[in-house]
Amino acid sequence: MSKSLLAIVAVAGALTAPAMAHGRQLTLTTQLADYGGDGAYLAVYLTDAKGAYVRTLWVAGGKAKYYKHLAHWNRLSAGDAKRLDGVTGASVGAGRSLEVTADLADALIDAGYEIRIDAAAEDMRDSPSEIRVPLSARNAGKPQSGKQYIRSLTYRLQ
Amino acid sequence: MGWKAIHRWLGLIVGGLALVLGLTGAVLSVDPVQQAWQAPAASADVSVAALAERVQRAMPGVEEIRRLPSGAIVAHGLVGEQPTASYVGPDTGRALGDHRPSRLPRWVKNLHRSLLLGDAGRWIAAGIALAMAVISFSGLVLLLRRMGGWRRLAGRVRGSPAQRLHVGVGRAVLAVLCLSSLTALFMSATTLELVRLDADSEPDVASVAHGPAELPVARLPALQGLAVQDLRELRFPSAADPEDVWQVTTDRGHGWIDRYSGETLAWRDATVAQRMYDFAVALHTGESAWPWAVVLGLAGASLVPLWLSGVLVWWRGYRQAVRITGNRPLAQADVLIFVASEGGSTWGFAQALHDALARCGHRVHTSGLEHFRTTAATRQVFVLAATHGEGQAPTHAAAALERIACNAGPRVPVAVLGFGDRQYPAFCAFAHALEQTLRAGGWPALLPLECIHRQSSQQFALWGEAVAQALGEPLVLNHVPHVPASATLTLVSRRDYPGPADRPTAILRFRWPRVSWRDRLRGRGLARFEAGDLLGIVPPGADVPRYYSLASGAEDGFAEICVRRWPGGLCSTHLHGLQPGDTIQAFIRPNPGFALRGAQRPVVLIGAGTGVAPLAGMIRRNDRRIPMHLYYGARNPELDFYFEPEVLRWLHEQRLASVRTAFSRVPGGGYVQDVLRRDAAQLRELLRSGAFVRVCGSRPMARSVAETLNEILASMQLSVQQLKAKGRYAEDVF
Repeated sequence: MSKSLLAIVAVAGALTAPAMAHGRQLTLTTQLADYGGDGAYLAVYLTDAKGAYVRTLWVAGGKAKYYKHLAHWNRLSAGDAKRLDGVTGASVGAGRSLEVTADLADALIDAGYEIRIDAAAEDMRDSPSEIRVPLSARNAGKPQSGKQYIRSLTYRLQ
Repeated sequence: MGWKAIHRWLGLIVGGLALVLGLTGAVLSVDPVQQAWQAPAASADVSVAALAERVQRAMPGVEEIRRLPSGAIVAHGLVGEQPTASYVGPDTGRALGDHRPSRLPRWVKNLHRSLLLGDAGRWIAAGIALAMAVISFSGLVLLLRRMGGWRRLAGRVRGSPAQRLHVGVGRAVLAVLCLSSLTALFMSATTLELVRLDADSEPDVASVAHGPAELPVARLPALQGLAVQDLRELRFPSAADPEDVWQVTTDRGHGWIDRYSGETLAWRDATVAQRMYDFAVALHTGESAWPWAVVLGLAGASLVPLWLSGVLVWWRGYRQAVRITGNRPLAQADVLIFVASEGGSTWGFAQALHDALARCGHRVHTSGLEHFRTTAATRQVFVLAATHGEGQAPTHAAAALERIACNAGPRVPVAVLGFGDRQYPAFCAFAHALEQTLRAGGWPALLPLECIHRQSSQQFALWGEAVAQALGEPLVLNHVPHVPASATLTLVSRRDYPGPADRPTAILRFRWPRVSWRDRLRGRGLARFEAGDLLGIVPPGADVPRYYSLASGAEDGFAEICVRRWPGGLCSTHLHGLQPGDTIQAFIRPNPGFALRGAQRPVVLIGAGTGVAPLAGMIRRNDRRIPMHLYYGARNPELDFYFEPEVLRWLHEQRLASVRTAFSRVPGGGYVQDVLRRDAAQLRELLRSGAFVRVCGSRPMARSVAETLNEILASMQLSVQQLKAKGRYAEDVF
């Protein structure tokens, strides 16, 4: 039985604020594989066309001492003092799913931006950039699979 | 609140939960052992650069190389689409087999650290660890008090089986448990984020392409200079991200390396907290040294016997504790009774004395010795004092001597009654010290000091007669000891000896009913016993049990005692009237320290009269043919040579190495002491080689045997007192 965790992500930051009027809502569903370990730490974040960090959409897992295992996110977001503001929740058990919603400016769609997820679980291998999916209208609704922890990632744009 | 109360209550309340952590810890300790057994040995004389290059060649999808605490190297990566983890040989870089982090189910570890309750459980587990640390420390304080200091810490433990188990196991694992709890506390503090391990953020670094291609791993200078045994983890840069960097973690810190230039872009030293954490994890889990993991596992499992025996010790004390009824206020009382008791049993005697005095019309106040004082109304004072450990005061009365010495109250007559066990070298030492302090302080003696051996109700009643005489009142002490649940025994056979004059003796053999383990758990039926333990029998028409030394063990399948009939003796007369098929009610009272449990050394057995019975039982079960030498004292071979046919058979079967007899009522005969003196040279030799001594007989006989042995041993600078202190010499006297 899979239980969804609903996450409402507040709009924050100068990047999205001016575009509010034309915002789209992103709903991201991440279904984890049965990797046979403890709850996974996941960092869901956005990078731009150059691979630069834009913002964090969600961090599953509450203990800061394990964030270094989400290596790419941890490195890229190091300069973002507000990276955890209002976007953290519990770690996600094997076989369960996580639903994340976020308001995005129209300008981010089909502009080379990427959704990335770093994943890690205790006593198992870290998987930085477990999955990278271009943020485009065409990709919406198509399930993608990750390397080790994520069975499928699907997003919708509304 | 004293250390004892802290130890007891924390143990009772938290002990059950600690048991869960201890057992799961013991299960988890299997992991390092299994890992060490499974992991291929790694010769580590290679640089990380060379290792990474070899692994990359053999396994192109490699993403991470880890060196496990056991020393084995594991490479993680993708083979096709499939994530894999394999042991690799550092010389070849080739996969040696799949690596599985643990074969244990995850819930064991989660039960161990959070009781499967998430963060709330982690707080509880941390609380248990804190309690364990306090229990260990208070246990050390109590252990030192009981054993009489650091030097005697390894000495022989005395007491009931539960106490011996608790103290014996406790002192073996105390240090490990303390270390486990303290490291657990530090680990909890990091997980609960009370202690931070890392700096806040990671450096913002990226590889900058300035050449045509990235540098091969073998040519990265930072990795060339790093030996594999210093490596913890090497993370390869992502093929899909041109700006990704090499990341290397060692015991000393963490580094970020440019994939094009090979330059170290940033280096963070491991924080002090991180190093402490690493050390704590190594100590707590034993992951880097499997023999230590075995020690940890045993310590975890030891919580089972520790907790069970602890609860048993507490329960016995609780059941025995007596609350004085009919206590009068101190200011009105003309007779005061002060009690010093470690286990609580002395309070039962105090109650008996209290009641007897109250029946004679006295207003009696009974209280703990720590409250010692007299008032204008006080006419007499009684002090009932047990001795704890190696001659110390019971814990609650630790400061009593100073208190008495400083007391300025009216000097009224005082009688001291000591309680103790003759097997302890310092028999009733605290009572003696009290007596001395009182006399030195100018308190007149109501009665000379008397010492009760092993809570003997008979001896207590005799002392009561002396009290009655001293007070000139018809005082009768009637102490009813707590009689354990008894079982029905059926007489199967008896052998009669005429004995001297009107005191015939009989060896009575009872069938020992087999007890199912369920009844045994519920405390029904007879406990297991060995020769030398005591059979308690309450004769019809009495409520004080009489004790007889057992001449057999439970293994023999029967309970045998040797009973001499005393004129007017209620119990012995009753027993002598039994015919095969008749039954009695009886229970076992352990005689710790006297029964020979697993002795490896030669044994010298010295007995006289019916005192030979327990010694005979020891010889009967000498299946390992330990050299046993019997010194047997009797009056006349025609009248009281008990067990004669058996003794001869045991000699033949080599269960008995030698026997020397002394008959006092035949021409040219003598006492057992005379034979000892004649055998002085052999006895010296035996005792030099570590022999044990067991003496059983009347009190005068035991005293003269001890004096004789002291003469014999004087030339070796050895004494009975020293042998007793080492637990090699024990007496059973009646």
